[in-house]
Amino acid sequence: MEEPILKIRDLYYDYGNGTTALNGVSVDIYEGEKIAVIGSNGAGKSTFFLTTNGVLKPDQGEISYRGTIINKKNLKELRKNIGIVFQEADNQIIASTVMAEVGFGPMNLKLPKKEVLKRVEEALTYMNILDYKDRPPHYLSGGEKKRVSIADIIAMKSEIIIFDEPTAGLDPLNAQMLEEVLDKLGSEGKTMLISTHDVDFVYRWAERAIVFWQGKIIADGTPLEIFQNKEVLKQANLKRPTIIEVYDLLVEKHLLEDTKAYPISIQALREMLGNM
Amino acid sequence: MMSTVILKSGHRDGHTLGDEINHRHHKIGHKHGEGSSIDAYAYSSKIRDWNPAFKVSLSLLTLILCIVLNNPYVSVAVIIAMAYLTIIVGGLSIQAYLSILTIPIFFILLGTFTIGIDFSTQPIGQYHLYLGLFYVFTSQAKLKMMVFLMVKVFAAISAMEMMTLSTPSSEIISVIQRAHVPKLIIELTNLIYRYIFILFDVNIKMRNSADSRLGFCDVKTSWKTFGNIASNMLIVSFKKADAYYNAMEARCYDGDLIFLEEVKKVKPIQIAKAAVFIIFLILLWGFTR
Repeated sequence: MEEPILKIRDLYYDYGNGTTALNGVSVDIYEGEKIAVIGSNGAGKSTFFLTTNGVLKPDQGEISYRGTIINKKNLKELRKNIGIVFQEADNQIIASTVMAEVGFGPMNLKLPKKEVLKRVEEALTYMNILDYKDRPPHYLSGGEKKRVSIADIIAMKSEIIIFDEPTAGLDPLNAQMLEEVLDKLGSEGKTMLISTHDVDFVYRWAERAIVFWQGKIIADGTPLEIFQNKEVLKQANLKRPTIIEVYDLLVEKHLLEDTKAYPISIQALREMLGNM
Repeated sequence: MMSTVILKSGHRDGHTLGDEINHRHHKIGHKHGEGSSIDAYAYSSKIRDWNPAFKVSLSLLTLILCIVLNNPYVSVAVIIAMAYLTIIVGGLSIQAYLSILTIPIFFILLGTFTIGIDFSTQPIGQYHLYLGLFYVFTSQAKLKMMVFLMVKVFAAISAMEMMTLSTPSSEIISVIQRAHVPKLIIELTNLIYRYIFILFDVNIKMRNSADSRLGFCDVKTSWKTFGNIASNMLIVSFKKADAYYNAMEARCYDGDLIFLEEVKKVKPIQIAKAAVFIIFLILLWGFTR
């Protein structure tokens, strides 16, 4: 087995008002993985992300990035390589033009200005927002702001990108745009962690799913494994993806042979039914 | 600068006008609540791509000349030149320009009027008007002084408006940064400028939701609602500040707020034209002294 890119051991985090946000979280993340982080509100996903990036300092536990244990000195290295796209773009966008905003991360990395400009241009082109370069963020729509917040992280060239509920508040078209971007990043071998409540998306997109419940990881496996585990679903209050429900229903009504070969998409289900 | 932006936000007419203009010509300026029209105009100005330092220094120099030379001809020349720059070159509509100038014009009239006239119990002065208890009097010299002052102030204001209507705040901030204004002030200005629009939005949302629950049904309730919104906004601000700081830290912020800015080159022809303009003003002053 290859070495994990990020190794997290026994993280504990307490917000200081009695609520334990992380209660012993251990997980290994390997390069190029597409991981969905699921769980109800307040299960500890956002706290987990913030500790992973080093913004919050865990009360206990350690994080190692590519074999080096993270301490105060090399914290910047961790932040540089793990980028977070926050749930609300307005809480992330800080500069008063799109260009300055996307350049904020690279400028903090103390890169030469020429390199920063190059990266900003690349990231804006990547997100298809090069035309908005000189605009102030308050004249952008929600979907456009989301693109800017993603470009922010792309410009930093982080190895791991964390998306905190990226589809929240996006219209279907923008959600589709987001999925295209995710696919594109995935095809480039980026490691991605996405927290979401959209189980259909998890089933469609993720290779691995991690379920959080009351500050702990209660399940870690392929989405199919997790969505078949009734106990986990009940404990974490998760619904099953529509397509799995439909498949089971068809099997139950003897319209399909029970081969346990769950279709991954509507297209696959159609083909399956066509073969009957 | 910031105060003008805030002042303008209450000026509804100008705002809707600005939005219309933007939608028609430049496609920026989405519905962003009661944002500011001046800010929107600055972003859609055709002379936005001029070097900001050039624009700021030109308008400052013009302003100083207006005051120092103290000459009505110079002032009129400045008014015409600045209107030309903003409207013809910058592409701002005349209605929008006038609507922005109405507030300063109002103040200029109020301010200069008291200089032009005086009160007395005796019928003195070149012209006087009896108002039952006292006389209002004035003279040709005083009226002349009043008009000259009016023109001078108006010229100074139009020079400043040329700058604010063509240079987005972020660029003005970067210019004052290069003028070695303390870093703390620069960073605060940057954050305030970004944040003010978010606060506007939050305020509008809270007000709308209060309004939909009859929060403004009578005067007493309105005051109460106003207080609640104000205190709520403070709490929200603290929370947002936390979220903001997290997001900044996540992108390697380590105490220095540094932004990328594109250098816009000054064209020699622009400097030449500006120099000709300044020399013209001085010559005009020399000949009409």
